[in-house]
Amino acid sequence: MLRLFGRRLLQGLFSIIGASIIIFVISRLSGDPIVMMLPNDAPLSAIEEMRRTLGLDRPLWAQYLIFIQHALVGDFGNSYRWKMPALQLIMDRLPATIELAVCGLLFSVAVAVPVGVMSAVNRGGWVDRVGRVFAMLGQAMPAFWVGLLLILLFAIQLNWLPAFGYGSASQFVLPAISLGWYPVAAQTRIVRSAMLDVLDSDHIRLSRALGTPERLIVWKYALRNAAIPLLTMLGVYFAAMLGGAFVVETIFAWPGVGRTVVEAVFARDFPVVQAGVMFTSILFVASNLLVDLSYGLVDPRIRDAR
Amino acid sequence: MAQSLQRIAAAAVFSLPFLAHAQAPKPATGSLAVAFGAEATVLDPTHSSAGVDQYFFGQMFEQLVRTGPDLKRLNWLAETWSVQDAGGKPVIDIHLRKGVKFHNGDPLTSEDFEYAFKRQSDKKISIWTHLQAAVERFEIVDPLHFRLHFKEGDGSYVASDLTLWAMPKRYMEKVGDEAFERAPVGTGPWKFVSRSVKEEIRFEAFDDYWNAEQRPHVKNLTIKVIPEDLTRVAAFKTGAVDWIDAVPPAMTEEFKKLPGVVTASYVAPNNMYITMDSVTPESKFYDVRVRQALAHAINVDAIIKGVLFGQGQRYVEVGIGELGYDPDLKPYPYDPKKARELLKAAGYPNGFDTPCYNLTTPREPYQKEVGEAYFAYASAVGIRCKVVGMEYGTWISFGRRERQGYVDGLYSNMWGHGLPGDPGTPWAGHLHSYVPGKGWGATSTYSDPEMDALVEDLKREMDIPKREALIKKIARIKHERVAGGLTTYRPLVTFAWRDKVTFKPWPMAFWRSMQEIGLKQ
Repeated sequence: MLRLFGRRLLQGLFSIIGASIIIFVISRLSGDPIVMMLPNDAPLSAIEEMRRTLGLDRPLWAQYLIFIQHALVGDFGNSYRWKMPALQLIMDRLPATIELAVCGLLFSVAVAVPVGVMSAVNRGGWVDRVGRVFAMLGQAMPAFWVGLLLILLFAIQLNWLPAFGYGSASQFVLPAISLGWYPVAAQTRIVRSAMLDVLDSDHIRLSRALGTPERLIVWKYALRNAAIPLLTMLGVYFAAMLGGAFVVETIFAWPGVGRTVVEAVFARDFPVVQAGVMFTSILFVASNLLVDLSYGLVDPRIRDAR
Repeated sequence: MAQSLQRIAAAAVFSLPFLAHAQAPKPATGSLAVAFGAEATVLDPTHSSAGVDQYFFGQMFEQLVRTGPDLKRLNWLAETWSVQDAGGKPVIDIHLRKGVKFHNGDPLTSEDFEYAFKRQSDKKISIWTHLQAAVERFEIVDPLHFRLHFKEGDGSYVASDLTLWAMPKRYMEKVGDEAFERAPVGTGPWKFVSRSVKEEIRFEAFDDYWNAEQRPHVKNLTIKVIPEDLTRVAAFKTGAVDWIDAVPPAMTEEFKKLPGVVTASYVAPNNMYITMDSVTPESKFYDVRVRQALAHAINVDAIIKGVLFGQGQRYVEVGIGELGYDPDLKPYPYDPKKARELLKAAGYPNGFDTPCYNLTTPREPYQKEVGEAYFAYASAVGIRCKVVGMEYGTWISFGRRERQGYVDGLYSNMWGHGLPGDPGTPWAGHLHSYVPGKGWGATSTYSDPEMDALVEDLKREMDIPKREALIKKIARIKHERVAGGLTTYRPLVTFAWRDKVTFKPWPMAFWRSMQEIGLKQ
């Protein structure tokens, strides 16, 4: 188990370094921040001085080495626009994004698992058909559209929930549904398909022959076996939600890291982009590591094999 | 030059005496929440890198001169000021208003402006140091009287409300720059309370504010940041906020009909135009007839009506209210037949193909769609556009001569300034020929020695009436030659507030200044 953890950790480390190189190079190829920072009438001397001050006059490899050297001690530099440490800007916003992603993921699992299980159990029946339509609708409606519809209905028409903001429990509802809506569809399909496989397997037939109650067979024995593919996808979805929360954060004026990083990309605010991408990469790797480790908890055969 | 350096009596014309000191203001009460679509990044004016930063610091900090709601310039922290001649060099002589205090109780003195001048001249702190480059030295005469000695005339200094922001020297030296950014202190009507980035900023009315008449009449103000248009509208409709900016153009008519809601539309500080390479002889647009053909080809009024839902104001070289605005200068009429004739006369009877670069990032509402409409109109007369979309960062680099050289084809562009505005600085950037390393023509697509001389005169001219006459003269020539691009429209921004709110829009922070806001008693 420890060896597996170590191996995965090492792979994760390489992934983070790879991501840092890619974002470092791409961000610098995408435009010159000095042009965006200085006014049009700034003389060339001012432009060159600003470039020197920010270290952007050095070769790319030298800039990267300096960046990685400082990043290792938590110094990602100061934001060009916010004039504050980029790390602080990201870390202050990160909890809001993680909370949103967790709530979105919980919502998607809370909907996808029962719908997927019921669809599999009632294969071909009306529950299955409704479940499939539900899944199709989820994948056909992007988060921004779902978000706007929810605002129109629950904030403007019914006045039940706030249209924006962060802090209270009620302010989590609409953003979490918007973010979790899309994964519901895919997760429902995964659960349904895995459940169908498991429900056809020998050990389930044996359980039925032994007279085990159907409720136990479905929700305990079958679902536990069918959970592995869902667990795999949850790690990916959680990471995707962290990165893709930008749209939902913008719609609901959510003070998260996604919005901060995307705005930094437009402003060519390299320190913020780098810090944001690094931390999203770390969370991505960490969530996948957790998923890998959780396989053993769900399925003892995997634990024993390791 | 000597004449232009005479004492400017006109400064007194701009000055409105503030007799309000004598009256004790009523303490403000109540709370108000408003929503902005965009957010300032920094709270220290010296660190500002974009106009949007004014949205927040413009509520707390003040300048010597300010533009009032009627677009007339007012002496603000300066009680009087004048431009004088000192041995052939200009000097701006400034007397500060008495009794002005910072939010921490420190009195405003000349030393605070000297400190502000030093910070604004420091390249490590400010990106606007070139605005102070013409100032040779700062002379303190007494605590309420100082002089700015110039090496040479600098009209942009006068045009930019004397550029300096009142900064609390003693407080800043005590707490340092970083702490100041977290707890800024100015002389403005609003005191900083707290900020949550990407969420909101909170202010409290400053009870000791010097201006007893033009001040807030509500105690607490929260500015929420809601970038998505429909969410901002929802926040207003559900009563979460009582004032919003940037009502989406498609919804302005609906808002005007809402009961209990007041709306007002004001011109934004951006001036939209289409630019083209008029410098390179091989460029199709080198010939003035082709540029005039383009001017006749595009129906700007129809675009404003059809694409912008009327939320645009046509302008010809200089906008309404801006210094040098000339009501007699009329736009080229929409006349596709004449456009084709001009193209034929220029040697293009069958028209020609050209790349047309369009900004796709919505820096102004429906900007991408407006660009597409421009290029569709141009194509209809024979200037056949192959449209290329550009993201903002790429587009802004694309317009810079030192990076890109001259670009073949057309591209949608814009120039901004404070309100009401003065075209001197923007023209120095895009009408004057490009001079590498000197700051002239950084975004220029035009080259004409006559125009260069006029723009340079304008840069030096500090006498407002003479400056105005010079702007009108340049505008006429610019219009005739379609020089430095084809001017099209200025976006309008619409604000909405509930009728329980009293709000008088001031142009500071692009009409988002909460100088006079309150709740009806």
